Amino acid sequence: MRLSEELIREIAAQVIQSLEQSNKPAADISAMELIEKGEAQKGTNTDEVVIGVSVGFGTHQTKTIIDIPHSKVLREMFAGIEEEGLKSRVVKIKHSADLGVIGNTAAKLSGSGIGIGIQSRGTTLIHQKDLVPLNNLELFPQSPLLDLETYRAIGRNAAKYAKGENPSPVPVRNDQMARPKYQAKAAVLHLKETQHIERGAKPVELEVRFK
Amino acid sequence: MKVIAGVDIGNSTTETALVRLNEEAGCNFIASSIVQTTGIKGTVENIPGIITALKDVTKKTGISVKDIDLILLNEATPVIGDVAMETITETIITESTMIGHNPSTPGGEGLGTGKIIDITDLDSCKDEKVICLIPKEVDFETAAGMINKALEKGVDVQGAVVQKDDGVLISNRIAKNMPIVDEVSEIHKIPKGMPAAVEVAQQGKTIKTLSNPYGIAIVFGLSSEETKMIVPIARALIGNRSAVVIKTPKGDIKERKIPAGSLTISGEKNSLTVDIQEGSAKIMETAEKVWPIADVTGESGTNVGGMLERVRLLMSEVTSQEISSIKIQDILAIDTMLPQKVRGALAGEFSMENGVALAAMVKTSRLPMEQIARKLKDELGIEVHIQGVEANMAVLGALTTPGSDIPIAIIDMGGGSTDAALMNKERKITSIHLAGAGDMVTMLINSELGLDDIKLAEDIKRYPLAKVETLYSIRLEDGSVKFFDRPLEPELFARVVLLKEDVMVPLPTDHSMEKIRNVRRRAKREVFVTNVLRALSKISPTNNIRHIPFVVMVGGSALDFEIPDMISDSLARYGIVCGRANIRGKEGPRNAVATGLVLSYISGR
Repeated sequence: MRLSEELIREIAAQVIQSLEQSNKPAADISAMELIEKGEAQKGTNTDEVVIGVSVGFGTHQTKTIIDIPHSKVLREMFAGIEEEGLKSRVVKIKHSADLGVIGNTAAKLSGSGIGIGIQSRGTTLIHQKDLVPLNNLELFPQSPLLDLETYRAIGRNAAKYAKGENPSPVPVRNDQMARPKYQAKAAVLHLKETQHIERGAKPVELEVRFK
Repeated sequence: MKVIAGVDIGNSTTETALVRLNEEAGCNFIASSIVQTTGIKGTVENIPGIITALKDVTKKTGISVKDIDLILLNEATPVIGDVAMETITETIITESTMIGHNPSTPGGEGLGTGKIIDITDLDSCKDEKVICLIPKEVDFETAAGMINKALEKGVDVQGAVVQKDDGVLISNRIAKNMPIVDEVSEIHKIPKGMPAAVEVAQQGKTIKTLSNPYGIAIVFGLSSEETKMIVPIARALIGNRSAVVIKTPKGDIKERKIPAGSLTISGEKNSLTVDIQEGSAKIMETAEKVWPIADVTGESGTNVGGMLERVRLLMSEVTSQEISSIKIQDILAIDTMLPQKVRGALAGEFSMENGVALAAMVKTSRLPMEQIARKLKDELGIEVHIQGVEANMAVLGALTTPGSDIPIAIIDMGGGSTDAALMNKERKITSIHLAGAGDMVTMLINSELGLDDIKLAEDIKRYPLAKVETLYSIRLEDGSVKFFDRPLEPELFARVVLLKEDVMVPLPTDHSMEKIRNVRRRAKREVFVTNVLRALSKISPTNNIRHIPFVVMVGGSALDFEIPDMISDSLARYGIVCGRANIRGKEGPRNAVATGLVLSYISGR
């Protein structure tokens, strides 16, 4: 099969169409309200993990690339952190959609120095304040393979790092087919995310209300 | 002028000392080298290693191997050690009676007792004491809601057993403090309707009631006969932060003793049999009674029998002697604890089982050193002499340590055996070889930490530990903190690391630094301190350690960062001056035999 330009256009059109369709009932899936509480401050408690969400997370997009609602993703990460006896705080990073920047900014705002960064499509990492943005403690690059169990484990491991424990890294699954299968969708989702970037905007504190 | 090379073939390294012999100016040590031994010590496979060592040492001085006039070999002590380990107890749960695992984050605290029910049956319960099972299909919020509702209704929910890691989450959402044990993977195997007890201790403490047989007896109203039966349960729960015990009509836990077999230790006059299960102290006591040991055999068809057979087989291959003529001359037994998966467990729990580690040492009539010498001569065209017995050469070499004098004892701590030799005032040498050395330490570390990785265990033995606390600082074993100007690699963050020469290697285990350190130090002390005391009392002319004034340590293990200190410390109690050798004042504890070979040749001329 040859990939003519026409075919690519057709595929892209279908992807966008299916995205729009799946976006329609999104409002009721997202049983969560994100309330902006002004500029995020640096935390002073060492028992917190800060979750940095990308600019479109929970608002412009409401579920990950494999249709897990963002509300459930956050809830599992909260649960993972709480189970270890720590507190979580959520900030929205508006000035960049780069995951390294999101995670590192969250870590720098965190009283424990540990942050989690997550993009709307679900790609996640655990970051530490002293690392450069392109580095990280644990990276989960293949968003189509991240399920709720993994998000719980990510929250748990972040909390363990914050406690100074020695967690074994969350097992990262790998699927060679995830890339060709989801690349177009991921690109579109990322594009949708970057549209909302506000240059120079400061991170914003979010209050999360589950409905 | 003559160039002479002393070559010492050791279990793990081959060392050389190169000497330029000048009739007028006397002898002059010009270089030394150290390389890995190739093949098993005392076999012709050693030759490639010897040649590399010679090339290495000549390169340092700018001459070639051809310029060497004479090569001196040691009469390698025909000693080979092997180690093995056996568990002698095993905990088996025949029916679901106990969950004694240690989830890292159980919820609530205290002791709860009641009837086991499924959480979905809470609705139909009246005012009775219950413990609910929460399978993974039930979300933590739902579960908490159900429990709260039941509590309001007057049901006395006393505790919970959870399949997922939800203990704290549920505990934070319910109106009453109750013990919640989580991460019980096989929750569906728990029998419903049975009386049970759940206990969670405060953080940093361990359970008190369920680890005590009388505690369990009170909870379930057991008779004295029944109390006897539950002792293994209580024992298996000691040291846990949380536990569940369920009283089933028939079920019980067995602590099965595995038939590990018995050892028959034969001396020159008599022979005694000792059961492995009686533990290391008894085995060593028996060995002392029949000393000197002529041979050791294991009960055939048992673990220990198989292990000793393997040692014999290896030795007979090396020496090409009949397997029946191989005699085990020493054993060292050490008690150990091994983490073993409990059979029939509901939460994949591990139990620390007793085990015995055994090192055996074999002495053969003679290793084929002549064969090596002949082959080496053919290959290099250089004259090769077998100069002398290893122990004697080592003493001669050790005497070059500044500050030492005769009578002197040396301790050579290698990989397979711990050797000692004593030179008295008349320059007469007595020596002894004992089973158990570095390899045994590695084995103990490997199994006690459940690593299943010999190379990793070897590294843990060799290098000190540190915990990476921030990206700019690490806490060393001794409690001090070291800072860095540049951030460390993120892979190291929060990990326990080994401080290798100039790199830090993160350990892939979740043991704490203290635990690893304790295991490592205990293994070293049990093997080396025990063996040094054994060896010295045997070579002392009066069998009394106190009559040896000077002890120097040589060999690879003398380079260890803590073994020499442990030994010096334990010998100081006997008023012995003990320290690391410093061969020729500059080689450290290395090169003793190679140096001794050359010295013995020169003085014999």
